[in-house]
Amino acid sequence: MKISFQLTNKDSELTKLHANLVKLEKRWSLSVKTVRELNLVLDELVTNIVEHGGCENICTIGIELMKEDTVITLTVTDNGPSFDPTITPAPDISLPLEERSCGGLGLHLVRKFSDGCSYKRENNQNVLTLIKKLPTECR
Amino acid sequence: MKTEISLENGASIFNLSGRLDSHTAPEFERKVQDFLTSPTHHLVFNFNNLDYISSAGLRIILNTAKAYKLSNYQFITCSMQDHVLEVFEISGLDTFITICPTLDESLTTLDTREQDADQEFLST
Repeated sequence: MKISFQLTNKDSELTKLHANLVKLEKRWSLSVKTVRELNLVLDELVTNIVEHGGCENICTIGIELMKEDTVITLTVTDNGPSFDPTITPAPDISLPLEERSCGGLGLHLVRKFSDGCSYKRENNQNVLTLIKKLPTECR
Repeated sequence: MKTEISLENGASIFNLSGRLDSHTAPEFERKVQDFLTSPTHHLVFNFNNLDYISSAGLRIILNTAKAYKLSNYQFITCSMQDHVLEVFEISGLDTFITICPTLDESLTTLDTREQDADQEFLST
C-alpha cells in the first residue's frame, strides 16, 4: 500500500499534512499513536525544509508513505540546496536550562520517533528515507 | 490553536488547546511575549486541551522557562496529555520545567513555594 502527495514550502501546509495522515489512520488501520508519531516526524522534516531549506521561491516537497507488512517507509523529497539531516549532531539534552538551546530538537524528535533513516542527493533533489516499525496492534 | 488567558490566585494561566506546531507557534509566541519582557505574576501553561506539540512549540516553552528563571516569579506547566509529556521527556525539558498533573496542583505548588520563600526571608 502506498500513497503520495505534495506540499509547498509554507508552514500552513502542515494542516494538509495532518489531514492526509488522519485519512490514513482508517485506510491502513493505524493506531492514533502511530499516526501522531508519523505526523510529528513529517512535521519536523517539512518545517526544516520550509525554514532552513534555502528555497527562495515556492518549492515542492514530496511525501510518500508505503506500508509493507509491519513497516512504514517514509520518503521526503525537496528540490532545495543539498542538506543531509542524518549527519547533524544530536543536541545535548542533559544540559541545564541556562545552557540549553533550541537547535536540533526537531531532528532529535525525528530520530526518536523513527527506526532508521538514509539520505541521498539525486537529480538535484534531497531524498530522505525513514522507516517506522509498527507496534503490535497495527500489524 | 486557541489560547485563553486568565488570572487566578495571583498567577496568569494560559489555557492552551489544539495543535502547537510551526504554523501556529508565531501567534502563540506573540501572546506569550508580553509576559516574558517583565513578568508581574507567576505563569502557568495549562496543557489540558493541547493535542499536539512539535519542536516549534518546545522552543517557546524553553524561552519562557529561561525568561522566568531570571525573574522573581515562577513558571509551571500542568495537565499534559501522555504523548505531549513524552515529547517533553524525550527533549529533556522535564528536567528543569515543573510539570504538575493538574491545574489545582500547580496553583498549590506556587502557594507552597511562596510560603517557603517567605519563611526563608523571615529567617535571614
